[in-house]
Order: sequence, then C-alpha cells, then structure tokens
Amino acid sequence: MASQQSTPSLSITQRRWRKFKSMKRGYYSLVLLVTAYLVSFALPLLIGSKPIFVQYDGNWYSPAFREFLAELPLVGSIAPPSFEPGTKFGLTGPGSESEPNYRELKTEWERQGSDNMIVMPFYPFSPNEDVTVTGNKKFVAPFEEDDSGHVRILGTDNNGRDVLARMTYGFRVSLSFALLIAIIEFLIGIPIGAVMGYFGGWIDILLQRFMEIWHALPFLFVIMIVVSMINPTFFLLVFLIVIFGWLGMASQMRAQYYRERSRDYVAAAVSIGVPTRTILVKHILPNTLIPIITFFPFAVVSGISALVSLDFLGFGLPPPTPSWGQMIGVGLQNLSEYWLVVVPFSALFLTLTLVVFIGEGIREAFDPKVFSRLR
Amino acid sequence: MLQYIIRRLLLAIPTFFGATFVVFFLIQYAPGGPYEAQLNALKRGQGAEGAASAFSSESGNIPPSQLEALKRNYNVGEPIVLRYLMWLGIAPNSVNDYLVEIGVNESVGGGQRIVVRKDAGGTFKPFDPSSGQERDDWYIDPSEKPNHVWVYQRAVSGILTFDFGKSEQYQKPVWDLITGRIPVSLQFGIIAFTLTYIVCFYLGTQKALNHGSKFDVISSSIVFVAYSVPGWALGAALVVLLGGGSALAVFPSGGFQSPDYESLSLLERIADRIWYFVLPTLAYTLGGFATTTLLMKNSLLETMSQDFVRTAYAKGIRENRVVWLHAMRNSIIPLVASIGGIIGLFLAGNYLVEHAFNIDGIGKLSYEALLARDYNVVNAFTVLTTLISLFGSIISDFMLAVVDPRIRFS
Repeated sequence: MASQQSTPSLSITQRRWRKFKSMKRGYYSLVLLVTAYLVSFALPLLIGSKPIFVQYDGNWYSPAFREFLAELPLVGSIAPPSFEPGTKFGLTGPGSESEPNYRELKTEWERQGSDNMIVMPFYPFSPNEDVTVTGNKKFVAPFEEDDSGHVRILGTDNNGRDVLARMTYGFRVSLSFALLIAIIEFLIGIPIGAVMGYFGGWIDILLQRFMEIWHALPFLFVIMIVVSMINPTFFLLVFLIVIFGWLGMASQMRAQYYRERSRDYVAAAVSIGVPTRTILVKHILPNTLIPIITFFPFAVVSGISALVSLDFLGFGLPPPTPSWGQMIGVGLQNLSEYWLVVVPFSALFLTLTLVVFIGEGIREAFDPKVFSRLR
Repeated sequence: MLQYIIRRLLLAIPTFFGATFVVFFLIQYAPGGPYEAQLNALKRGQGAEGAASAFSSESGNIPPSQLEALKRNYNVGEPIVLRYLMWLGIAPNSVNDYLVEIGVNESVGGGQRIVVRKDAGGTFKPFDPSSGQERDDWYIDPSEKPNHVWVYQRAVSGILTFDFGKSEQYQKPVWDLITGRIPVSLQFGIIAFTLTYIVCFYLGTQKALNHGSKFDVISSSIVFVAYSVPGWALGAALVVLLGGGSALAVFPSGGFQSPDYESLSLLERIADRIWYFVLPTLAYTLGGFATTTLLMKNSLLETMSQDFVRTAYAKGIRENRVVWLHAMRNSIIPLVASIGGIIGLFLAGNYLVEHAFNIDGIGKLSYEALLARDYNVVNAFTVLTTLISLFGSIISDFMLAVVDPRIRFS
C-alpha cells in the first residue's frame, strides 16, 4: 500500500486531460467557449429591454431576473416570464395596459426627479424590439445614436432591431441547438452502430442498405422541403436534423464494435457467460470512447452550420428568433450596410473556430498519432 | 474487375429505388404537400367568393368535377406502390384526361374529337365521331357527375423518362428549365473541383513532407478556419467587404457575367468571367478544401512511416524518388476514393452559394421553386441530386478499384 501511495499514478483519463490542458490553443478555446455559453444564460440581466430593478411606490420588481429564470431550461416551465402592465407603474392613457418602455420610463422618472428608480441592464436593448418601439430606427450605423439618443454599439437592422443584442442571443440559440443535436445524435447513433457492428448478420446488412439510401438524399434540401410544408419550431428542426445526422456516429460505432468484438477480452467475457448487454455496455463501450469524444466537437460544428444555412435560406427557426443565418440573409439584401453581414459572420466564424480548436486539441490528446520517418 | 463493376451497379439498384421512394413519399404523399396545397388553394378560392363555410367540411364547396379532376391528377385513391411506379415512369400513367358527356361529340385536344356511347355489348366505349370506329388508344373511367365519363390516354412517362412535368412558375417543362441552367452550375462545379484537387494535393503533400514545420503549423490554422466556416457565409462576407456597394468595390456583387457580355471581345469576355468567378469559386472551393487537404497530408504521413519506405531509403534511393514513386501511389488512394463525394458536391449546384451570389444555376432555380411551392421543379432537383450522389459513390468505388490493385472483389 505504502509503495503505491509514494508513486501516485495517473489514470489514463487524467493523463489525457493533462495533455489537453498542456495544449494552450484547445484549452483556452474550451475555457472561453464554456464561459461564454454559461454567461449567455444570464443575457437578460446584461443585454435586454427589461430592467434589473424597478422601485415604484416602495415596491420592488425585477422583470429581467424573471426573464432570466424563464429562459433557463427546465426552470422556465415552473417560472413563466413576468408581465408587468404599464398601469402598475402609474402610466395612463392608450397603450398603458401593455409592457411599458422602461428606457423611456427611466428618463421620464429622472426628469421628474421622483423617488422611483429603474436600473436597466448594461445594454438596454432586446433582440426582438423593432421599429414599432419608440426610438428604434432602421439601419443605425455602429457607434451611432438612435432617435432616443442611445448609442447602438453594432447598429440596427432592417427592422430597427439591435444587432448586438441579436448577435449575442443568437450565440445562445446556435450553441444550444448544436449541442442538443450532437447529444441526441450520439444517443441514437451509438446503440444502433453498436448493434450493427457487434451482431452483424442480416440486421447489419439491412441497416447498411438503409443508411446508404439515407446518405444519398440531399439532407439539407429535404429538410427545407419538409419545413416548407410544416411550420418549423426549435424542436422540430432538431428532430429533422437528427434524422439525418445520426448516420455519421452510427457508422463510426459500427466499425469500432466490429473491430472490438473479435478481441480476446470479448471472447473471454462471452465464454464465462456475461450477458450480451453487459458486454456491449460495460466491456466494449469504454474502449470506443475515443471516437465518441473526438467526434463530438465536429458534430457541434456541423449542427451550427446546418442551422445557420437553414436560417440563411429562410427555412430555419421561426421569426423573430435571433439567428445568425437570418442576419446574414438580411445583410445580403442590404449590401451597403456592411455591419449586417460582418457582425453575424464574425460571431459565426469565432464560435466555429473555437469549437474546431477544441476538437483538434481533444483529438490530439486522446488519439495521438506519432509518425516516425526515416530519412 | 468487370464482375466487380457489375455487382456494384446491381447493388445501386435497390438503393436507387429506396432513395427515390423516400423522395416520392416526401413530395407526393406528405401532409401539406402539393395535393393538399392545391386542395386548400381551391377551398380558399371558393371561400373568397363569399362562402365562409368553405372550410367547414373536407371537400368544402369545391365543385365536384374540379375535386375529381384534382384527385385524378394526383392519382389519389390508387395504391401507393402503383403511384410510385407511375411517378417513376414504369407503370402507365393517365394523360390527356377529359370529362365528357355521354353521347356528345367532344373535343379532346390536339384536334381530336371523341364521342362516348354504348357499344353492342352495352358497355361505354370511346368512338371516333367521323368514322364511327372504336378508339383503342382511349380509355374510360366512370365519373361522379351524372351522365359523364372521363376519357384519357395512357403513357409511360415519369422521372426515368426525364419527364418531370411542367413548372407552375415558368409554365415550361421542368426538364428544359433544368438543362438550361446546368451549364452555369457546371462551370462553377468543374472549376471548383479542379482547383480543390490541385491545391489540396500540393498543399497536403508539402504539409506532410514538412510535418511540424512553421509552414505546416500556419497552413494548418488556415485549414481549420476553412473547415469551420461554411463557404457561402465567407462568400457573403466577401461580397459585402469586396463586392459592389461597399467601399472596396473590387468584385461584382453577384451574378454570372456582365450585362453587356455579348458585346465584349474574346479577351474581355475571359477577363469578365474571371472577374465574376473569383468570389463564388472561393466560396465553392472552401467546402471540400479542408478535408481533402488533411486527407492527403495524413495519408502521405502514414505511408511515409511504413516499412517499405524505410527499406527504400535504406537502399539509398533518392528522396524525390521515394516520395513520388514509392509513397505517393499508396497515399493517393483515399484522395481518389473521395472523388465521388466531391463530384456530387459540385455537380449538384450549391444552392447556398448560388443564392448568396445570385447566380442563376440549378441550385437557385430549385431554391426559388421551393419558395414558390413549384413542387415539380423541387421534385426534379431532389431526384437529380440523389442520382448524382449515387453515381458519385459508384465512381468512387470504381476509381478505388482502378488505383488500388490490392482490392479484390469478393
């Protein structure tokens, strides 16, 4: 025992993690991306048109915090977003039953010098506020002021919606979408590939024929056809992309299980009567982790690309969901407003490059290829 | 070899039927598809004329004859396999469908006239009104309308005979529309394909031979970036930054050639084409660029670390000879095997790039057809793309068999 403690050995996973950390490019990309994704869930508190705090007649409200809770996955279903009519804050007249424009309310209260107080988020514009809201002007250039005197850091689009807000909310939408797709693809592709590779026989032949057929179809165009017939939602699009996306993982897994099943440890397990399910899950699966893990970032990249492409063509998420593809599409119709394309493109470019760097780092750490060459 | 090719082609047949059946089911059968869309359009048309109850029942207030014609046009009620065979062009389909009144001399198009009356046996038959002869090439179906029958001719025509029907949008046969657009897409496809292979072959080889050098590291970053960004998105950014309308209007903002192309001299024409081609070709090429380069690099690296290369060096063979004669022949195998997939990518017309650059190719045609719900065009494009993709994988296998003599076909 003592000798074991004196020479602490690292498990293979720990060694791989260290190797990954030692590769700065991939590691920092991971840190940056994870941080950005976590922060993006707090977006209503940072960028949005609802105030963080409202104090009115001694009562405290926090619409932005309610919004933040409502947008969290799972939590959102038990904490729906709040709706505070303008009458609650002493507004009268037409339109006071609807949500007040807190930016105007704030300037109004400050002008009156009243005790009521509003604390707005750092950047007080939300992604779907268009020209119908006072002060939102179409095609405000970056760093210029709109009609109400607010500086729009990255300008506004053809509907007066704020580009910075749409870009940041679009990041959360894109990444959530791609992560969900990658995870579901794996959940479907791994068991199917495992069964195909391990059992072989007619089930393998049948599924392989099926995959060949599926592979021959132009998947993005087929999705567009379906979307043109049925109105898309977030989850319908996830479902449609997964229908085609699981093929890649399944064929990877098929090859892995096919190779592993002829190994001695599998034969040993079979001969001592280990149930097949246990062999598949406990014995073989850990040995196929490398392709699973290294494939994941690239599945995320293709998920983001697919969503952006569909949105660009107008067959993606229903409007007015903030999405990069839709933003680039609008930008191409308004060529002189360069920021409409440059901003979402840069966001897309940065995000995808980060994911690819992570993927490359993981691949290098988990599956190092050493080439020796004699010259 | 011949046996292998024949076997490969035979294997492609069930895949062809499977893939086309999916397309058929998707476009002809799906809820919300063309049939339902037309049905709803008819209902809406009736509703607009004042009958608010048009939406109440399944058939609404559509005149029964119109509804029947629609159902006959889409072969609603026939078994799905028969409909699929009709759509393929294997089973005969009804053409020249006319609703005629029994016993009346009716025109049925093409200057032909037909009268339907009972023959000696008491069944209804079509007759030529002038000669009184029975017409064998016309068939009769009963109609729901009293005292009327449908007369039609049969023809074997479908996607296998390149009959994709008529475009609703352009009122032209779909096949003519597509063949008219193919040259445009093909020019981009061929240029992009050639460029991809030349650049990737050279770059991949250099990266493998200088593995770990500064050149390798820097070009790797470029390859990663090229891998991560969709080609059309880079194209869009380039159009805004370098295309017309921006401050740096170096290239045109889209299109295929200048409006005054016809009046230019030959040299000017070539220059004009190149000028228009630079940005779209870049966007086109980006798709296959990264994977192909890495494929080439990794493949050559792997070969270079094998024993026979070591032996060749040990025998004192010059480096160039070892690389280009011994290693290269083994290394290009995966590159050659990927040709089929890339052919498919380029031949089919990239609707994303064509939309971004406003190029009138097949891709843009089908995209606009989808927007306009012109399902015959959409159908043709999907079938064509599927066929090209199947064809590509056959080409791949064939090329693989040609370059790799070790492949034995059993």
